[in-house]
Amino acid sequence: MDFEAFVERLFAKAAEAGLEDYEVYYSEGESFQVSVFAGEVDSYKVSSRAGLSFRGLFQGSMGMSYTEVLDEEAAAMLVDRARENAQVLKGQDLQFLYAGEDARYAKPVLFSQALEEVTAEEKIKAALAMEKAALAMEDVRSVSHCAVHTGRGEVRLVNSKGLNLREQENTLVAYIEAVVERDGDTVDGLAYVMGRDFAALDPQKLAEEAVHSARDKLGASSVPSGAMPIVLDREVMADLLATFAGMFSAENAQKGLSRLAGREGEVIAASCVTLTDDPLLPEGLASSSFDAQGVPAYTKAIIQDGKLMTLLHNLETAAKAGVQTTGNAARPGYKGKVTVAPSNLCLRPGSAPVSALLEAAGDGLLITEVSGLHAGANGVTGDFSLTARGFAIEGGRRGRPVDQITVAGNFYDLLRDICQVGNDMRMTMSGVGTPSVRVESLMVAGE
Amino acid sequence: MITPSTSAQVLEAALSTGGDFAEIFLEDTDVTALTMIDGKMDEAISGRDHGAGVRVLKGTDSVYVYTNDTSPAGLLRTARQAAAALDGKSPVVCPRVGSHIHRVENHHPIVIPPATVALARKAEAVRAGYYAAKEFDPCISQSTCSYTDRTQRVVIVNSLGTMVEDVRTRIRYAVSAVASQGSETQTGTDAPGWKRGFEAIEALDPAQVGRNAARVAVTMLRADYCPAGRMPVAIENGFGGVLFHEACGHSLEATSVAKGHSVFCGKLGQRIASDIVTAIDDGTMVNAWGSNNIDDEGNPTQRTVLIENGILKNYLVDTLGGRRMGMAPNGCSRRQSYAFAPTSRMSNTYIAAGSDENEEIIATMGDGLYCAKMGGGSVNPITGEFNFAVQEGYLVKDGKIDKPVRGATLIGKGSEVLLTIDRVGRDMRTGQGMCGSLSGSIPTDVGQPLIRISAMTVGGRKKGE
Repeated sequence: MDFEAFVERLFAKAAEAGLEDYEVYYSEGESFQVSVFAGEVDSYKVSSRAGLSFRGLFQGSMGMSYTEVLDEEAAAMLVDRARENAQVLKGQDLQFLYAGEDARYAKPVLFSQALEEVTAEEKIKAALAMEKAALAMEDVRSVSHCAVHTGRGEVRLVNSKGLNLREQENTLVAYIEAVVERDGDTVDGLAYVMGRDFAALDPQKLAEEAVHSARDKLGASSVPSGAMPIVLDREVMADLLATFAGMFSAENAQKGLSRLAGREGEVIAASCVTLTDDPLLPEGLASSSFDAQGVPAYTKAIIQDGKLMTLLHNLETAAKAGVQTTGNAARPGYKGKVTVAPSNLCLRPGSAPVSALLEAAGDGLLITEVSGLHAGANGVTGDFSLTARGFAIEGGRRGRPVDQITVAGNFYDLLRDICQVGNDMRMTMSGVGTPSVRVESLMVAGE
Repeated sequence: MITPSTSAQVLEAALSTGGDFAEIFLEDTDVTALTMIDGKMDEAISGRDHGAGVRVLKGTDSVYVYTNDTSPAGLLRTARQAAAALDGKSPVVCPRVGSHIHRVENHHPIVIPPATVALARKAEAVRAGYYAAKEFDPCISQSTCSYTDRTQRVVIVNSLGTMVEDVRTRIRYAVSAVASQGSETQTGTDAPGWKRGFEAIEALDPAQVGRNAARVAVTMLRADYCPAGRMPVAIENGFGGVLFHEACGHSLEATSVAKGHSVFCGKLGQRIASDIVTAIDDGTMVNAWGSNNIDDEGNPTQRTVLIENGILKNYLVDTLGGRRMGMAPNGCSRRQSYAFAPTSRMSNTYIAAGSDENEEIIATMGDGLYCAKMGGGSVNPITGEFNFAVQEGYLVKDGKIDKPVRGATLIGKGSEVLLTIDRVGRDMRTGQGMCGSLSGSIPTDVGQPLIRISAMTVGGRKKGE
């Protein structure tokens, strides 16, 4: 059954079953990924996928169900299961479906026809060229990952209140991880490009970036344990922000899972910190003109010069808090429930180059990589203790490479302890854009 | 889900451009998930995942195409898309297709299929865990309890004559608790899981799971930060086995060995661990979370000795990895769903019981760290660097377990830590986790007895004494 016919059938069944209001969230798309290894296509992956989520309001509770098959049986299953689920959800907060009568939607450019026209051969050629360029460089033992990925997706949102929205987007991500070996020491380095512009994929440049990044790490050793001045590279700051972004969710705050509950209007960060949620950013991975409930998306400051301006809301959390939704309803695809999440989080850059951050730090550590975020970071408490790599900062300059250390702290404290923000802002693969930052002090465990 | 004649047509189309192996993986999965938080049932979702993936290999080249359209026409289209990625003009092999689909023998009894249990009964189990955690102590400020059952029906057909069907039923039950006092917050979790029916929940004391989670949160709330530095570390059984899983297991998967990225490449028959260490990956453990009758290439799962008395005996090998390595696959090829090409993965992986007494292990360690409960961890397979969070840790002073400490992490290199294990206890237990890698997120058991590492780097927020 095609989408329109299925929705008609589904909505008819929902009405028959006594559901008061109902909604369909549909996402479909295709993706292409090619990975190369040792001069040959190593893996080639193509997909086409569609899934549909159904939400139905029954006696005040919102039941949910989903399917990846659109047939008569699925329509019946969706309605029955949503109704059954609604019954165990009694006592839920007030639930809403959005009518959007006067809603105005921005029109960010999220789709590039030119990207759709790039052929599989051209993508394979680019991946092979990246690997070849890296393998030609000194000390390179192998290329562990080298891939070009493109995807196109469309989201449709239709409900019984008359809302009918659709949006299409596409993306390109290319990355290379080179393995460098010298004197028995093996390290890796990563470089990537993302966006919608295939011309921005410069194989030579990416290969060089990956190899240089790996070579810089050769001969790393640990440092003595202690608290010391820290500069967090933009990739690291982005990883941390992405990991702890849940603290800005009003849903988490209302459930006691964020320490920012009720703190709107208070200073929660250093005055150099301004954090925005920008769903309209053309290069953002999470950009969209409407949120997962169909509410128009817009750009807002979460933290302005250190002050918490707002938490992020969907229709339910906003009603509970007595405020307007911020258009941050989110859902992890069609299989998950509606929740709250930032779109593209952006930390406003300052004017100082990274060299000035290092100079101000004097003697300390530049952290360029952290790992173990899913285990060593606690989104509720803000505590983190992470394996890290980086460079010693010696006399205000980047010195010898450092590994076998952990860096530990608390993200709530870290926001207050940022004393300088760099000018090297970049949108990262974690969907967060930040510059590098300097922090007064963090605890480092090494030797 | 597919007939032998459609299978033959699809495999033929997949091999039409010179591939030497083709495979169809069809899946139809029913999921029910419930979550309670903040005194309310917050989430109740039912769903059906449905799709198919077609894989074509030509030597060590691999093509994977997947779709939700499992009609004969949809599968043929998918196979042709896969074939188009290879440049041959004509087929080099003919598929061998059997006359019927063989339902594999089930070694993991399911007494009560979750689909036969009313949603209200599942909700009742969720409430029990939620309230047990919430009411454990006045400082428990929040708790979450979730229940998920998943019944996956798969059909795997390949051009070598494999034509099998299997049903996998799994249940996970998880409680997490938040303890708060002033501006201090700590969390604890407990999350058992099984490849079993609803009888697993009937046999469980859900309140005990809730209390386990709450006890850790409350203990850690009253704990001081862990000192940083190098020290002896003892790691308790159960989920403590995550150490081996991360520090060593991933580096023994063909995914990392076949391309020469692993620190354990070329070390078969060599010592990679101290001689008291024997480690096993066993996909056949009855009703265990990480078990299967067959792997996702349709081969029977196995019990594979990875390390025996410190000597590396085996890698975990899938078909594609095996082609690179010149080794036969050993029943460990797994994938999250039809949306992933399968690859070598762990199932239930553990350090086998040794001969040391728990009391002696602690009494002779001097000053160090005792990890009663581990959190998750990760590893870089190229450098072998790993890190783990310690969910519940205690300082050991002069051979005695002393006060609890929070925020500790263990870091090191897999190739080094295995050689420095100096005690292996007798009481092996497993714990359940989700493992993420190239072929997605899959259920795995980790396990070990109490073990001790003579010295390792502990990360924490306090300067060591």
